[in-house]
Amino acid sequence: MIRIDEAGVRSTVQDRGRFGHLRSGVPPAGAADRFALAAANALVGNAEDAAGIEIIGTPFRFTCDDARVVAVAGRDVSLAMRTRLPGWTSVFVRAGQSVTVHAAEHARFAYLAVSGGIATAPLLGSRATYLPAGLGAPLRAGDVLPLGEPDAGAEDAGRRVEPTTYDGRVRAMTGPHDDRFDADASARFFGATFVVEPASDRQGVRLAGVPIAPRPGELLSCGIVTGAVQVPRAGAPIVLLADHQTTGGYPVIATVIAADLGKVAQALPGEPLRFYRVDRDAALGALRAERRALDGSRVSA
Amino acid sequence: MTPRVVPFGEAAILVELGDDFQEALIDRARGIADHWETVAQLGPAVPAYASALLHFDPLRTPPAQAEKAARAMLARGAPTLVAGDKPRRVIEIPTTYDGPDLAETAARSHLSTEQLVTLHAAREYTAYFLGFLPGTAYCGRLDPRIVAPRLERPRERVPAGSVAIADGQTIVYPLTSPGGWRLIGRTDLAMFDPTAEEPARIRAGDRVRFVPL
Repeated sequence: MIRIDEAGVRSTVQDRGRFGHLRSGVPPAGAADRFALAAANALVGNAEDAAGIEIIGTPFRFTCDDARVVAVAGRDVSLAMRTRLPGWTSVFVRAGQSVTVHAAEHARFAYLAVSGGIATAPLLGSRATYLPAGLGAPLRAGDVLPLGEPDAGAEDAGRRVEPTTYDGRVRAMTGPHDDRFDADASARFFGATFVVEPASDRQGVRLAGVPIAPRPGELLSCGIVTGAVQVPRAGAPIVLLADHQTTGGYPVIATVIAADLGKVAQALPGEPLRFYRVDRDAALGALRAERRALDGSRVSA
Repeated sequence: MTPRVVPFGEAAILVELGDDFQEALIDRARGIADHWETVAQLGPAVPAYASALLHFDPLRTPPAQAEKAARAMLARGAPTLVAGDKPRRVIEIPTTYDGPDLAETAARSHLSTEQLVTLHAAREYTAYFLGFLPGTAYCGRLDPRIVAPRLERPRERVPAGSVAIADGQTIVYPLTSPGGWRLIGRTDLAMFDPTAEEPARIRAGDRVRFVPL
């Protein structure tokens, strides 16, 4: 079991997402920075679909009642026990030892994985928390969560995954509604620097910058994916994140590749984002590179 | 427009059947989504008015292969309603017609509130697809005499169970949320229950009736 001693500002159990009920309007939810959770899971020997804890705001402190391997990943994150330990690195923790997750200046979402995974009861096939529909609840100090059987032990401490470079350089594929925009709108989108608005959350990151308004005309709502860059009529783009609605009626000028979703999710209000056009092969290449990075660090049972 | 298959990121494709509202396209989109999930089994699908979003795992299924499967479904023409073979259910929604926009919406159509209620409750609607929030079924079409646009200023808080109309369609808000549709009534029937095996009360393709209380 893991006991939450201090719960941060908003912390939730998340896995890679709930994809079985999209057509009932249930958003995927799951980790906003999907690669950071995947890295933390790999470092502690968990399966890809294991659940961890997404932490917004600190202090976050926890204790496990038996020995576990843990890892924290995200932007500007580290762990503290007796000494400070780096993020993106597996750490052995003894039974009853108090561990603090530290988030420095640029942190937005931190991901904690514990060997064995958070073993709360799945809802609709996933442990991902989606607060608006009551799928899960925010964690509170004093909460005790069950853990699964761990595969990793003390000998697995010190493994490391190369952290994401949160540099605001985001690769995106065009479309699917690029034909709803003038050619120069697309050129502006891929040439401009946008600034992240404060009203950004797990549903989407709102951007300010040069307007990219679509051509006039109605668009019938269609299913949409995480990473879709929607452009409402006023021309200010929104990049959809994990809690996005399953359908949308705004034209989508481009779609952020899966490998760069974390860079968007972790961008802080006021920080710049720039989009770089890539094709699907490049997007797939980036996914395969992620997979290699994780396989290279994964604890093998 | 000619139907087309376009990438939507590296892990999904969007099958677009048209760009205008036609009930035949809605059925077709749902048929393609059903087929993708139950026959091709390459991932989840999200049907809408005239499109089906088809997800797949690009590390397992090369995108070109997923597109080929989608094009084959398009080429087959008429939908094979795999999941839709079940008889259409009729969902009855007990409704108290006392919404805050009822009087204004009736007045703008030169109707009494009683007339609007009668027209809203008279039709058996089709649930086109679900989206927006968990369990929100877009149902139509409304009687043309009560068609009205969305509110110019959306509400920040619409209570769960609100029965609403806009753009020729009607919905029930499953959760308390912001919203811009015209609120004409309310129901106590839960539209989304995460602990149920099938969490959404209404399934796309169902028939839906509002029963005045």
